[in-house]
Amino acid sequence: MAKPFLIYVKQCPVCGDGLCRVRVCHDLQRGRLTGCILCDECETVWTDPTLKQKFLRGKVEGTPCCPDCGQPLWEPNSHWADIPEVCLLGWYDSVQIVRKENRDQIV
Amino acid sequence: MARRTSNDPQAIANVLRLIPAKWLVGMLVALVLYFFLQPKLNAWFGWNLPSIAAMAGNETPAKPASPKSASTKSASTKSASPKPAQPKAAQPELASTNPAQPKSAQPKTASTKPSAEPTKSPVTAKTQQQDDSKYRILKPLGRDRYESPAGLIYAPGSEEGHRLSHIARHLEDQPDRPGSHGVFDGDMAAFLVAIDDAYKRARGHAKGTKSRLEDGMTVYEAPFDQTIGYLGGTEGARKKNPKLKKLRLVLRDRNLITAFPIQ
Ligand SMILES: [Zn+2]
Ligand SMILES: [Zn+2]
Repeated sequence: MAKPFLIYVKQCPVCGDGLCRVRVCHDLQRGRLTGCILCDECETVWTDPTLKQKFLRGKVEGTPCCPDCGQPLWEPNSHWADIPEVCLLGWYDSVQIVRKENRDQIV
Repeated sequence: MARRTSNDPQAIANVLRLIPAKWLVGMLVALVLYFFLQPKLNAWFGWNLPSIAAMAGNETPAKPASPKSASTKSASTKSASPKPAQPKAAQPELASTNPAQPKSAQPKTASTKPSAEPTKSPVTAKTQQQDDSKYRILKPLGRDRYESPAGLIYAPGSEEGHRLSHIARHLEDQPDRPGSHGVFDGDMAAFLVAIDDAYKRARGHAKGTKSRLEDGMTVYEAPFDQTIGYLGGTEGARKKNPKLKKLRLVLRDRNLITAFPIQ
């Protein structure tokens, strides 16, 4: 689902072209939402918007995983955060929000 | 009576001694001819000629003649008409919908194929088929994985569902995307060739290439003699889309994660 806003921290320090975006994982077992930062290009995962700590080991090899529950971040229980979710995570001040002019071009 | 004499070797020998040699040769030739022509004559004309074995008493005439003629008759009429070619022509059609399947399995091919790919929708199967013809340089490895001539693996993954779909984002500009967005100037086939070229050179530490390790990932960079793309995104637009002559690859082992032109 394309969202009207693109929320990101900065351009990726690892690959250079990706955007470090806020990814939300809905842990169904524990019934809670957790957030992390995920590069939409090289799939590097950080635990928070400071980009100080990478998360490298998930439960599935070769795919980015949630630092909290370890489940893959491209599965349906994860999604790009919207503005209320970013506020809930307390990361509003750390992100940049861009309104999408053309929804098809930025998904 | 006749049967008994024909089965009695002594009687046969006596008869043969009375027949001139020329006749014997002629009879032998006739016998050989009959041996080969009997089934064909039965088939062509629907006759019921007994086989030599049947005449010699080793086989009842009814056995080889009637069912054989019935079956060969139907078979022959089929082979004469264009219809029998149809089931054979249908086989490649089945095979083409599923190139990996061996030709021998006909009806089973149809039944096993959908169960073998329960997760794949017809749309993905179609896309994969298009990909197969489109990206001819890639060798299918099964389970939607492909290998390039240089050894790079393109597998399912990424937000788009497949690495090939992911790198396809770099075949077009995304002018509204914040920051830089490297755009390859060419189609997917040319992009894959360029990626392989960059990979080979960077892995071999060729002049001008760079490589670094990033927590389990390898980032390669390789320059090109000519322009391979331009800078897109908001940053590219701000800089008036400068031309790019370098390619950056991000890999996890041999698996390509992403690739795009850079400044
Ligand atoms: Zn990145
Ligand atoms: Zn999680």
